[in-house]
Amino acid sequence: MSGTRNKKRTAAFILAAVLPVVILILSLNIGAYRIPPKAVFTTILGAVFPGGGNAQPSPYADILFRIRLPRLLLALFAGAALAVSGASLQALFKNPLVFEFSLGISYGAAFGAALSLVFLGRKIPPQAAAFVFAIVAVLAVLVIAGKSASHVVTILLSGVIVSALFQALLSLVEFFANPYALQSLIFWLMGSLAQAEWSDLGITLPIIGVGVTVLILLRWRLNVLSLGDDEARALGVNVSREKVVVIVLAALTTAAATAVTGVINWVGLIVPHLVRMAVGADNRKVIPLSAAYGASLLLVADDIARSAASFEIPIGILTSVVGIPFFIVLLKKSGKIWL
Amino acid sequence: MKVRVENLVFSYPNFTLEVAGQTFVDARVTSIVGPNGAGKSTFLKCLAAVLPAPRRSVFVNGNDLADLKGRSRARHVGYVPQEPALSFNYTVLDFVLTGRAASIPVFSSPSRHDFEAAEEALRFVGLADFSARTYFELSSGERRLVLIARTLAQRPDILLLDEPTTFLDPRHEVEILELVRRLAGEMNKTVIVTLHDLDMAVKYSDEMVFMKGGRVVASGPPADILNESLLRSVYDIEMGILNVAGRRLIVR
Repeated sequence: MSGTRNKKRTAAFILAAVLPVVILILSLNIGAYRIPPKAVFTTILGAVFPGGGNAQPSPYADILFRIRLPRLLLALFAGAALAVSGASLQALFKNPLVFEFSLGISYGAAFGAALSLVFLGRKIPPQAAAFVFAIVAVLAVLVIAGKSASHVVTILLSGVIVSALFQALLSLVEFFANPYALQSLIFWLMGSLAQAEWSDLGITLPIIGVGVTVLILLRWRLNVLSLGDDEARALGVNVSREKVVVIVLAALTTAAATAVTGVINWVGLIVPHLVRMAVGADNRKVIPLSAAYGASLLLVADDIARSAASFEIPIGILTSVVGIPFFIVLLKKSGKIWL
Repeated sequence: MKVRVENLVFSYPNFTLEVAGQTFVDARVTSIVGPNGAGKSTFLKCLAAVLPAPRRSVFVNGNDLADLKGRSRARHVGYVPQEPALSFNYTVLDFVLTGRAASIPVFSSPSRHDFEAAEEALRFVGLADFSARTYFELSSGERRLVLIARTLAQRPDILLLDEPTTFLDPRHEVEILELVRRLAGEMNKTVIVTLHDLDMAVKYSDEMVFMKGGRVVASGPPADILNESLLRSVYDIEMGILNVAGRRLIVR
């Protein structure tokens, strides 16, 4: 029995290392304008070694490097960010059903970013505004849940309340936005990677990179924190300090992603659960694997969003359509061993 | 090595723990007994720093417990909680490894040395073959042993066990208490344990502390302090003490 488990585990790790890269390369071929695989290859080669071989710049370079690559990098980083912060929050709150959305972080961040985009003309970067309100949201959830913050239902309910509040505030922003801003705001809210531009990614990708890396470094610590405050304290851990670090990192990475992508839900729930089913509960494996599979999942979801229909399907709608049935199944099964 | 308590006062909104003075020495098992709500667990948690005892009230090996933080505190006191409700199904080895938390830097993972400590602790409690099992598969008795193993992996001088035998069948109850004796006997630990079963407490402890209403009513070796009037005043019911084959049995 443990033999098959080990094989499964090794397979999961090998796949994790290869999958995001393979999907990224394949995804470069996909889009409204079809570029033959060979042309993708030569264009990348031409960019990496300028002046070598064909001096003529590839006619596809603009599409590949100005439109597709930033979008795919955003999918890669945002997927890792959402999955890793979801997994970390689950450990921290001792609760396998929490993630960015159920803690109000998603809509807190969306509200902050919308404020910056609509009213402040980006004078405060949307990522920064998103971060501030993501923190406000998670603090509000903690205050409302109070002492029973580790109780599954209490924290989900508190999250629903805070999410509802921020959705109402978002509606207020929409109400006051001018028609032009309103349209782009609504599309952004549905969740989309279409607006990926290098200028935004210059802020978002480094934040996510640092946040995810530090959370991966904290992976074993999350095992200890997931035992609950009293136990972790008795084991000699400075619980409040480490909790703050994890919450800030999770809010930061989610906010950095949400400010550009809008609300993309359920990745933070689905991915860590699938990983736990495959390799068990140990966060030393769950956190890094969540990063790899979250990135892969969002890349694939975005490929589908771009190519399944003649128009672009908002990716947030896609992940919700898949994620909500998944959540229902989890709720029904909660208590089963992989939780 | 020992624990010294001086004028410890700890209050909840409707409960106050008040211990004027108490000493626990090494290589001894001390059981804390008393009715529900007497403050046994509160006392134990204050000794474990799970609850914040005020400054200059609890001293471990000469150090004020309130001044000890993280790693240095974990080296002195280890706390074995009542069976916790885990949210994640860790393997036994991963669970016992969390006992090493104080020795592992925040951004690091357990080293080989930490794995060895965890495996050694599992061997001591007799669960060497259980490393790869998961916590949810274990019986209640096995979980108690794993909890003790985790605290052993932490390698503290003083072990505090909160009702380690509650809800266990007689065989597992005896198994745990035999282990508790070995902690004091073989490893020279200072062992403090809250218990409900008076017969077992009498049989397995070197010292007993009787509590009622947040105060210590009597303490000392069972042979010296145990009598019917003490039991009556602590539990508010009549109990008799029978001497059978050299053992003292308490009958209700």
